Amino acid sequence: MRFWSKVLTITWKDTLSEMRTKEILSSVLVFALLVIVTFNFAFVASQEAIRLVAPGILWVTFAFAGVLSLSRAFLPEKEQGCLEGLLSCPISREVIYVGKMLSSLLFMLIIEAIALPIFAFLFNLSVLSPQLITITFLTTVGFASVGTLFSALAVNTRAREMVLPILFLPIVVPLIISAVKASGLVLSGESWGGLSSWLRIIGAFDIIFLVASYLVFAFVIEE
Amino acid sequence: MENASYVFAAFAIVWAVLFGYVLLLFNRQRRLRQEINSLKEMLKEKGTEQRPAHH
Amino acid sequence: MRRNVLFWLSLVLMMAALYLVFVYVPTEKEMGIVQRIFYLMVPVGWLSLLSFLIIFIASIFYLTKREIKWDNLGYSAAEVGIVFTTLTLVVGSIWAKPVWGVWWTWEPRLTSTLVLWLIYLAYFIVRAFATEESRGATFAAVVGIIGFIDIPIVALATTLWRGMHPAPIIFKGGLAPPMLFTLLVSLTAFTVFYFLLLRQRVSLREAEVEIKRLKKLGD
Repeated sequence: MRFWSKVLTITWKDTLSEMRTKEILSSVLVFALLVIVTFNFAFVASQEAIRLVAPGILWVTFAFAGVLSLSRAFLPEKEQGCLEGLLSCPISREVIYVGKMLSSLLFMLIIEAIALPIFAFLFNLSVLSPQLITITFLTTVGFASVGTLFSALAVNTRAREMVLPILFLPIVVPLIISAVKASGLVLSGESWGGLSSWLRIIGAFDIIFLVASYLVFAFVIEE
Repeated sequence: MENASYVFAAFAIVWAVLFGYVLLLFNRQRRLRQEINSLKEMLKEKGTEQRPAHH
Repeated sequence: MRRNVLFWLSLVLMMAALYLVFVYVPTEKEMGIVQRIFYLMVPVGWLSLLSFLIIFIASIFYLTKREIKWDNLGYSAAEVGIVFTTLTLVVGSIWAKPVWGVWWTWEPRLTSTLVLWLIYLAYFIVRAFATEESRGATFAAVVGIIGFIDIPIVALATTLWRGMHPAPIIFKGGLAPPMLFTLLVSLTAFTVFYFLLLRQRVSLREAEVEIKRLKKLGD
């Protein structure tokens, strides 16, 4: 239980500092909306066609917004030297990973929770079904799992903004494929049954990469 | 393009690329050997320069 | 003596494979002569995956033991591997044109290979942009591990995604014995050649790393 209290301390610290500045939330939210609106100009089509491309637009938006959000995850630590402070505390590196992962997850979920209704409004689609919420939640967990690891890695390189996308996007291809397919099925009225294979892929991804990132994180953080 | 040409193109490209890669490795090896020799020369010179100062 | 064994074995096997592919094996009924690309495609595709397996193992050893030799192996396997992955994409594209009429299609195998190519790229980029060599090696090892675990998931997702698309490149009736034999010889020939390349690259890399180290000492 000591583990979780330390983890939640880190998560809480991140949440508090974000609540004060609202830096990540505001910039990423604006970005997400801009992407959605820009996409709308890319596809001038009938309502039927829009329904076909909508899942793709949604998940491209969330993927890019996710990258933007994750790129900020370790920035305060790096820039203000807090990382050395954290490392000198008697906490395991794994605690840092889980704490950071949870805060990134939280921020991404908040942004998605705001962006989804706006998306529904702009595209005339009903996205507030339990299925879609489940898909979104599970996929975002997947994003956060490898994203936190790669964010810590990228922040220690000379070209952070470029390194994170090139690491992150190829690896989460299975998530994007599954999320788009599953969302498409939900929007055309499919119920849980048809989603099962896609949800299984997303779920398996989550578990596998939560474990893998957890194990490997220490190597990325150490000087 | 005739279908047989595709087969030829595939094999030709693979061989060209692999051969080119082998050549690349070979050239790098040659350059490295030159560098090693010049480094050895440099170390020899450094040795002879320093000897007078050592006593 | 061992150096030359690999070289000559590889040469002999390649000659044998060439003969089998162009003279011995009968032409397949459905696809005709274009099907012979199969004997090229499978080996290069297999080697692009084998390479990443080697990267995976080398990465684990490097992170746990911190010995440079493992990083040298990982780097070399990555370089040879990305060459073969590029070849897989090129050969796949050349095969796609006569069979499906297009130079590219988002079918599972080609798509997975493209993603694999991007992961190889990430391996190198992470090294290039690290602040020091040793951190670069650590980061690359992380990519090697995470990337390898991802590969089967990518393959699964892309296969499921394109389920109903143009029939995959498997022949009706399976592989007749002469075709299977030709494929195996070709696979073996390319694999032996691959290890020849890998060994060369590793010794080259060891020399490069050693020189860099010596230069640093000299300054």
